[in-house]
Amino acid sequence: MALVEIKDVTKVYKRDSFQVPVLNGITIDVAEGDFLALMGPSGSGKTTLLNLIAGIDRPTSGQIVVDGKEISHFSETALASWRSRHIGFIFQMYNLIPVLNASENVELPLLLTKLNKRERREHVETALRIVGLADRMKHYPRQLSGGQEQRVAIARAIVTDPSILVADEPTGDLDAKNAADTLDLLQRLNEEFKKTIVMVTHDPKAAGHARRVVHLEKGLIIDGAYGEAAAHA
Amino acid sequence: MKYFKLIRRNLFRNRMRALMTLALMASIFFFVATLISIVELFGRFEDQGQGANRVIVQSAISLANSLPYSYEEKLRQVPGVEDVCKLQWIGAYYKEKNNFFANFAVDVDHMQSVFDDYKIDPKEFEAFKNDRQGCVVGTELLDRFKWKVGDRITLKRTIFPYDAELTIRGVYRHPVNTSALYYHMDYHNESIPPRMQNNVNTFWLKIKDPSKMAPISQQIDAMFKNSEYPTETVTEKQFQAGFMAMMGNIKLLFGSICTCAVFMVILLAAITMSMSARERVTEIAVLKAIGFERRLVMTLMLTEFTLLTLVGGAIGVFGAKLAYLILPMAKMTQGFLVGFTIFPTTMLISLAASLLVGLIAGGWPALNATRMSVVDGLRRVV
Repeated sequence: MALVEIKDVTKVYKRDSFQVPVLNGITIDVAEGDFLALMGPSGSGKTTLLNLIAGIDRPTSGQIVVDGKEISHFSETALASWRSRHIGFIFQMYNLIPVLNASENVELPLLLTKLNKRERREHVETALRIVGLADRMKHYPRQLSGGQEQRVAIARAIVTDPSILVADEPTGDLDAKNAADTLDLLQRLNEEFKKTIVMVTHDPKAAGHARRVVHLEKGLIIDGAYGEAAAHA
Repeated sequence: MKYFKLIRRNLFRNRMRALMTLALMASIFFFVATLISIVELFGRFEDQGQGANRVIVQSAISLANSLPYSYEEKLRQVPGVEDVCKLQWIGAYYKEKNNFFANFAVDVDHMQSVFDDYKIDPKEFEAFKNDRQGCVVGTELLDRFKWKVGDRITLKRTIFPYDAELTIRGVYRHPVNTSALYYHMDYHNESIPPRMQNNVNTFWLKIKDPSKMAPISQQIDAMFKNSEYPTETVTEKQFQAGFMAMMGNIKLLFGSICTCAVFMVILLAAITMSMSARERVTEIAVLKAIGFERRLVMTLMLTEFTLLTLVGGAIGVFGAKLAYLILPMAKMTQGFLVGFTIFPTTMLISLAASLLVGLIAGGWPALNATRMSVVDGLRRVV
């Protein structure tokens, strides 16, 4: 069954008096437990599509159904609440809060839940243990390497146990070793913890970790491949 | 409370900027609290006659002009007047001109009856009454010059051509006026040249029924209207207000300065807070992306900004309170600010103003930062 259903979605941005079409009628499903890589040149609309799936942007037309719910008509408040329960974000630049240490950064999404302090601490410890940073809980972002920062960001993304992880160029700012470690971690989250992952990447090696690769160009899907084909994308 | 850590950490994310803002707020509100307290002190001085059943008869020409002693008996004849007490402003100083304070010659026989809100130990008052060169002083004045009962002091001449040689016979207590000195009208009258004698600049009348003060005042002024010395009779509150008015419109002046200072601090705080909000656009977008509602983010930012201004304001206000407890303001201002402190109402007004500064200065940057869409916010870096 499809966890995410994108039906004939278009997105047009207004820039001053110009209208810039970014997505031109995209239809795609993402199955539960899938690991989807979105590839394509700059301006192809892959990040816009990711943002729509994550509920941080709205389509100009079309439908986005996630877990049976049409999210494009949610109010801003309802959408924020929905994101806190269903979506985990992983950004290229990690986007950790510099004044909070690793455990406090990971705890952030839990502040929106009804969990008490002890329960929140347990969840944070579990998430940091999964990403292999249980010994770096009190370290501030400036005291961590890029790879470690991204792992903290991944811990923050998974700490509320969301159904979907969205990752925008998660290895874009990492060296080869840390990029490989991050991708292994994402793959493990997909295989072991059954997380549905949608990842935007330019890197064919990164896309090789996905179960399925979708290529976009000029706001349209030009092909989507599963399995071996994905590995050779 | 669970968000407090985030607020606290953000408050001091740029330690130097936060400390500078605190210092700015503290110094401005030290200044504002001081000015408001001065205005309040003057207001209290004006209000000291409020509720008292006294009217003052003075020359209609000016307070500097005198009225003859002979008016006293005529005033006693006015129906509704309970008692009359002569009071003369002396304007002398102690040792040096800097040591200025309010000093009066008073009709001792009628002092306690008319000024019944001035409390003096009966034995001390008796000693004062029996010594023509005796005087009574307020508690604050006693402290200011480290005087004690029995001390002999000399008041140096200014208006009248004599130095008053006095012995402190007692101390009076009063809720507001605690820094004046009163000595015998007879001693004063004997010490001045004959041409000046038997004149006084004010008669203080105790009225039986306070509701009759206005018609009695009108009756008195009508009585002396065509005389050589026409009078102007006013209530004690009007008299104090007129006295204050001689210094100009201090309230308006200080009020304007306070408003300018608060306006200035709002602008400066707004610049600081705009910088802080702009630096965090991406972080705000991240918070919103992971589920923080716009209103929550806005509340967190405003709490942070108002906390900064409130703490800064509180440092300034409580600092001023402490400073004026330590500093001898009466001495430093040569008796201009007697009984000066930061009053509780001033503290409340100043703290409320500092809170308002945070809300106004932080409101716009917080609104702008949180109004930006998540996508636009993330695009700043990603």
